[in-house]
Amino acid sequence: MDISKVEALTAAKASQADANRPDAVARVRSGGRMTARERIAALLDPGSEVEFGSIAAQSADGEWVAEAGGVDFVGTIDGRTVVASSTDYTDHGGGYGAGRLARLMSVAMDQRWPIVFFVDGGGSRARHPRVGMGHIETSGAVGPITLFDGMAELSGWVPTVAIVSGPAFAGHASLAGFSDVVITTGGSSIGMGGPPMVEAALGKRLSATELAGVEMHNETGGIDLLVGDELEAIAAARRYLSYLDTVAPARTPAGGGGAAGQPPGAARPGSVADPADLVPDDGAFDVRPVLDTLVDAGSLFELRPAFARSLITAFARIDGHPVGLIANQPTVDDGALDENAATKVARFVELCDSYELAVVAVVDTPGCVASFDGGEPETAVTRWHLRAITAHHHRSVPLCSVQLRRGRGLGHAVMAGMPNGRTIPALTLAWPGVEIGRADGFSVVHNHNSFDDVIAPAQTRERIARMLGYLGRRPTLTTKKRPVDTW
Amino acid sequence: MDEQLVSQIVEARAATLDARRPAALASARAAGTMTARERVDALVDPGSFVEFGQLAGAATESGDDLAADGLVAGAGRVCGQPVVVAAHDPTVRGGTQSDRNQRKLARLMWLANARRWPFVCFVDGDGARPADPLPAPPIVIYPRGRWDAYDGLAELSGWAPTVAIVGGRALDGNAALAQLCDCVIATGAASFGSRDHASGAVVERPAADYGKGGHVDVVVEDDAAAVAAARRYLAYWVDDPDAATAAGDLPAPSLSPAHDALADVIPENRRRPYDMRKVIAGFADADSLLELGAGWARSMLTVLARLDGCAVGILANQPSSPMAGAIDAEAADKAARFVDLCDAYELPIVSFVDNPGYMVGPDAERNGIARHHARPLSALHHRTVPLYSVQLRKAYGLGPYAMSGFGGSRVMPDLRLAWPSVESGGMSLEGAAYLVKRKEIQAAATPEEARAIRDAYAETMRDQASGLRAASSFSFDDVILPSETRSRISALVSAVPRVLPVAKKHPIRLR
Repeated sequence: MDISKVEALTAAKASQADANRPDAVARVRSGGRMTARERIAALLDPGSEVEFGSIAAQSADGEWVAEAGGVDFVGTIDGRTVVASSTDYTDHGGGYGAGRLARLMSVAMDQRWPIVFFVDGGGSRARHPRVGMGHIETSGAVGPITLFDGMAELSGWVPTVAIVSGPAFAGHASLAGFSDVVITTGGSSIGMGGPPMVEAALGKRLSATELAGVEMHNETGGIDLLVGDELEAIAAARRYLSYLDTVAPARTPAGGGGAAGQPPGAARPGSVADPADLVPDDGAFDVRPVLDTLVDAGSLFELRPAFARSLITAFARIDGHPVGLIANQPTVDDGALDENAATKVARFVELCDSYELAVVAVVDTPGCVASFDGGEPETAVTRWHLRAITAHHHRSVPLCSVQLRRGRGLGHAVMAGMPNGRTIPALTLAWPGVEIGRADGFSVVHNHNSFDDVIAPAQTRERIARMLGYLGRRPTLTTKKRPVDTW
Repeated sequence: MDEQLVSQIVEARAATLDARRPAALASARAAGTMTARERVDALVDPGSFVEFGQLAGAATESGDDLAADGLVAGAGRVCGQPVVVAAHDPTVRGGTQSDRNQRKLARLMWLANARRWPFVCFVDGDGARPADPLPAPPIVIYPRGRWDAYDGLAELSGWAPTVAIVGGRALDGNAALAQLCDCVIATGAASFGSRDHASGAVVERPAADYGKGGHVDVVVEDDAAAVAAARRYLAYWVDDPDAATAAGDLPAPSLSPAHDALADVIPENRRRPYDMRKVIAGFADADSLLELGAGWARSMLTVLARLDGCAVGILANQPSSPMAGAIDAEAADKAARFVDLCDAYELPIVSFVDNPGYMVGPDAERNGIARHHARPLSALHHRTVPLYSVQLRKAYGLGPYAMSGFGGSRVMPDLRLAWPSVESGGMSLEGAAYLVKRKEIQAAATPEEARAIRDAYAETMRDQASGLRAASSFSFDDVILPSETRSRISALVSAVPRVLPVAKKHPIRLR
């Protein structure tokens, strides 16, 4: 082969390296962000990355045209194979002009590889920029799925993590909205319609963050995690995947906290305090120190922390076993379950069930409340609450619950499902301060106070850890159970 | 047989009937409602009721006479189709749930699950019965391992239709029972609520308040109308359309008198709203509709109907709603739930599309549209029932996909039609015109003048042959006249037999 052909190709590819795009890199830096290639390099295990679709087309006079708008890779995170992708907001607005990512999604579907992608950008390109060229890149439907329906198809089958650092509007917001977990950096924004569209439609001139800032989403539940910068976001994404060994096994021990790979009994709890000392007989207390006594040191990874704060959802490890943890937080609204808190439970249980994570429920709630016409929360049950019961009923992962004091009204069932029927908890524990035999509008006929054992608080971690060891890991299913609901 | 043994039974049975309970009858009359037994009788086909546990709670040595323990329960038929039916009796201990009457309910749940029979419950009562003793020492009670009310309904969700008819006060456990059902029908006398755990005070609200939040599906005036709505709801699940017609719950299939008006529904001025209900009424069989969730998410319509006798679910945008048919978080939720419902029970979906896209702006974002927008898209992607879509006029951005799924998807619509008034694009003509003429528009002296500049420019951008172009580019399977819509879709609907899958596909999301 004429060596000049290889050199021409190498040069075309090299043109996309950060070192050869000083202006683009400067624009990225001025926004305080990493380039697309830097993001992927930090996300994937060093040396594991394989790039896909770097050449987009060949021009009429034979020049290779490098891909623009983003980069796509396959590589590993802690040894587990993933698809990693990043848009490049400095290049064609980060637009998805082609089917590169859709193609990798199809491969991810076949191989059950998780997807982690950075999706800042302003939606699809208005026009494909290379009309008339000979296309190398794929466009249109190349595999069983395309971009957005691909996200629906992957949901509940492979874990999907979106990182938004910068503005994500229209199609980019949609990709984020479809993802199991959305991790964002401060000052970013996610919205269905960007500022120009909002101005055109509503006559309101707003900045991206005024319109749809992630600080707002952080409190309203639109995102799962808000962190300071992209390196933190990358660390969070890597950590998230470390809990999902059941569907995406790591080939090397997982990093990012916890005690993966340690033999049972080797892990130490986050706190050696006696939980009995942390919970008063009456009144509010912070449940987080209690959780620290249950889970392995450094293993608690909270999702949606600023949304529906009366209820905590977190991944954690208990003696090395990965679990999804739900806990009432009595310091907020007395631990009452409003519509958002119930939704937070339901979606989290569905997420855990989809990816075969056992659930641990720490219960101390005065029951369910709801608001009407924007008024103050009042005691009530709504379909949001009952969705949680339906979610528990349809899960097949085990649940271990411990009731610290109160599980009033429908609250216990929202947290742990019905204690009788088809889907019962694997283990139901209570502490000596538990309310027993209390009559209310739900409790008489539903045995809300049925427990396998009443234990000293200090025994809780060991009892649950042992049970989790007995329950073991369920074999990975060969079909998905359900998509993960986006709300 | 000992005569006395027989007469005890006969007498105890008679004592549960309304004729022997004048106080209960008077109480119902005073409240303007039917009695529990009248409700059941009105619901089921005459003579079809087989009662379970009629003597549960009958006076024995204790002398405490609780007619059927406050729950009339059994099996019957609606339009010839077997159903299980229960009715809480508000005149027996306030319609409360006891361990015994809950076991009756559990029997019915088992039956409904085992035989895949619809479940109907008249909910009217104050939750768990305060005086009912706990059934066992409350420290260690092993689960009973059988259907109970809540998990029985969760199990039925997506397997057999469940209907709650609320004709009075539904507190706590009774409210939960109702709201777990696929379809909640509430009368003007209905309220939901809960007893405050601290004070014991009842906090209740009219059912309509819950309807505004999507927790009630059908609001009617009284018990008779509620029964008629429930029978109609169940009639869509009856395989044999003639049975529903014979029972009088749905008229014989015939062309709607509103059909001829379809040609004139779309206004000449492409910006003017119109009432999508007129399209639905003209499209479906005459008097065959039942709208669900009319009280909330008004930009999205969800309607059960029949088309040449075949039951269908109609999903439609409402251009005459305050948001002009734009899809906000609640509308997305409503659509997703309806798709779940139709898919679970194998009802083909007809979708009428005319929307400016998903709702944008700070309020929409605060309400989580970036998350909620994916719910109907995902529901449509995961459905297996046929979907037939008709784009009547506009659909911008992701708007068309929200109503009919992705065109290139693995699960694409069975038929994609458009009317000649179709227009599509990334954003509306008016929006695009605004961005082009932004400076002029902002310099305008009055809002009217600004709008005039925008609209005049949008008119110049308008594709004068959008319908023909949509057809020639094969963006749609065909561009048809409004008057052809019914026959085109009916031809395919009737070609696909409605076969229920042997296993449950998925539960129906409640919200």
